[in-house]
This record gives sequence, structure tokens and C-alpha cells, in this order.
Amino acid sequence: MNQKQDFSELQKLLQLKRLETPGKEYFDRFVDAFHTYQRREILQEEPWYAKVVEVLFEPWIAGVPRLATVAASAACLIAGVAFFLGPIQSGTAHLADGKMAHPRGIVVASAQTNESLQIQPELIDTAAGGDAAELRPLYVNGHGAVAYDSRLAF
Amino acid sequence: MSAETALPPDLENGPTDEELVASTIQGDLGAYDELIRRFQGRLYGVIYHLTSNHEDTNDLLMEVFDKAYRSLPTFRGQSSFYTWIYRIAINRSFNFLDKRKRRQGAMSLNELDEDGLPKLDLPDVSPQNNPNKSIMLNELQNKLNESMLKLSKEHRTVVTLFDIQGLAHAEIAKIMGCTEGTVRSRLHYAHKQLQKSLGIYLKK
Repeated sequence: MNQKQDFSELQKLLQLKRLETPGKEYFDRFVDAFHTYQRREILQEEPWYAKVVEVLFEPWIAGVPRLATVAASAACLIAGVAFFLGPIQSGTAHLADGKMAHPRGIVVASAQTNESLQIQPELIDTAAGGDAAELRPLYVNGHGAVAYDSRLAF
Repeated sequence: MSAETALPPDLENGPTDEELVASTIQGDLGAYDELIRRFQGRLYGVIYHLTSNHEDTNDLLMEVFDKAYRSLPTFRGQSSFYTWIYRIAINRSFNFLDKRKRRQGAMSLNELDEDGLPKLDLPDVSPQNNPNKSIMLNELQNKLNESMLKLSKEHRTVVTLFDIQGLAHAEIAKIMGCTEGTVRSRLHYAHKQLQKSLGIYLKK
């Protein structure tokens, strides 16, 4: 018997596996079961950060962290620290009127009074075109556009 | 013909898969139910032959249809719906198998059989009226599944799609995102491995 015939015998044997299927009743009920599953999934949907935690920590829970997971976790941690600390700490300066200036723009909240973001009236006036100063939008720390006053550039 | 390979009755006369996809995107949920009915048997087969567990297969099949439904708006029709949903099923099964493999170390001993493989969840396919034949068939079925589980997931997939589901090499290549040559070579290797472990059951 040659190799090809041997494989055809094997293929006949493998066709036995076609019988390993649930009955017709299972498939008749499947669509309804799927609708129930979908409703449950919508009600119990995990927030995005829970999914991130699962992806990152599942290998540790299983007891076998992979190098790629360790590297990805370290990269995420470094990126997170850089995102939250980087722009505020590098090159910020307190101005005389209590505002905080940054090389990439102006943070218009006072560092001393409170934590809320307060737009100073003269900046609103400038942004509305009341002054001939050149303006361009700037994103500070990814949280939104802040008017940039070129006269204060340094 | 088994449920796995049989075509649903309205596949030839009814709307095409792509028409049903378009209707689903426009909000016709009944169209998606129809797509589920068309593919449930075949996808069940693919997932089951990769996982060898009916409960896991049921969970994964739900996930696959849910994922496909949520991703339908991004389905651009560059491949057929058929290829696309098969690919989702295989990717999900591969992820599941990777997780299971990592967790196997934490499995208790009574979850493993004497060879260290996960216990198989096998339906009884043996004839009722012949006990001897039934014992032999069960033994053969166990051995067959054991041999399949020893293959890598890629090799098991090509065997499932080609030998059990009867897909062509070209279709398998599209689903698995590789060349036909790769499919043929994986199939040849898998057949050789299976033949080695199932040799005593094959006619000489």
C-alpha cells in the first residue's frame, strides 16, 4: 500500500469525527440561546480598563508570564508615568500673576488658589480676535485646546 | 451527510450571505439570525475539533457570533463573510487554546487523563446493539482525539478544515491567511503524524 492510499484510509478514519456533533435540538435552540447570551453580555459589559487588566495580568494569574507580556506591561507603565508626569515637570514656571507657564503653552489655572481651570478674561478676549496677536490651538497634557498667546512665548 | 457538512435548505435559493450582512447592518436582526443558522453547524465543528470540549465550544461559538455581530460595521467585504467569520472562529479558538495551555499547569490531577492531556468530552457515537463494536469504536475515537490533540493548533486546523469539513486547499489558505503551499505542507505533515500514532488502526 503506498503513502497516498495510507492517507486515504486515515481520511476515512478522520471522517468519524463528523459524528461528534450535538443533536438537531441544540442547533434549533442556538439562536434563542445566543440572544440570551447577548443580552447578558450587554448588561455585564466590563469597562475597558478591566479588559486591559485581564490581558496584562492573566498570564501571571495562570502562573506563567510571557516575556512579551512583561515587556508590554513595563512599556505601558513607563508610558503612563511619562504621560502624567512629563509635561508638568519639564520646564514649567510660575508667572507673577499666579499663572503657570509651560514651553509648549500656557496653563491658565492658578497653581495656588484652587484646582479648577479658570480662563482669564484677557485670554478669552485675545482668543476671540480682540487682539492682533497670532494664536494657534495647543493641546496641553491631552486634555483640550488652550489659547496660546505668542506674546508670552519663551 | 452530517449536520456539519449539510447546507441549510435555503442557502441556494435565499439571499446570499452578503445580502444578509447588508440587511443586518441596516438593522434587520432577523437577517443575522439567518446567518447564525447558516454557519452554526460548521463553526461548531471547527471549534469543537480544535478544543475537544463541547462546553468550551458552546461558549466560544457564542463569543464568535457576538464578536462578528459587533464587528459587522467594519466588515468591508474584501473577503467573503464565510472566510471572515471562519477566521474569527479560528483566532478565538487559538486564543482560548493558548490560555488553556498556560493554565494546564494549574489544573488538578483529576482533570487530566493518564497521558496528561485534558479529559475529552466525547459524545457516544457507537452502535447500541453491538457491545464489542461499541468498545472498539470508543477506543478508536479516544485514540483519534488523543492523536489530534498532539498536533499543533495550526496542523489540527488544516486537518479539521480539509479532512473533516471538506474545504478546498484554496479556501483554507484564505481562512488561515497563508499560501496554498503552506496548507498542503501542513496537511502532509499532520497526516504523517496521525498515521504514525494511528497506524495500528489503519488497514495494511
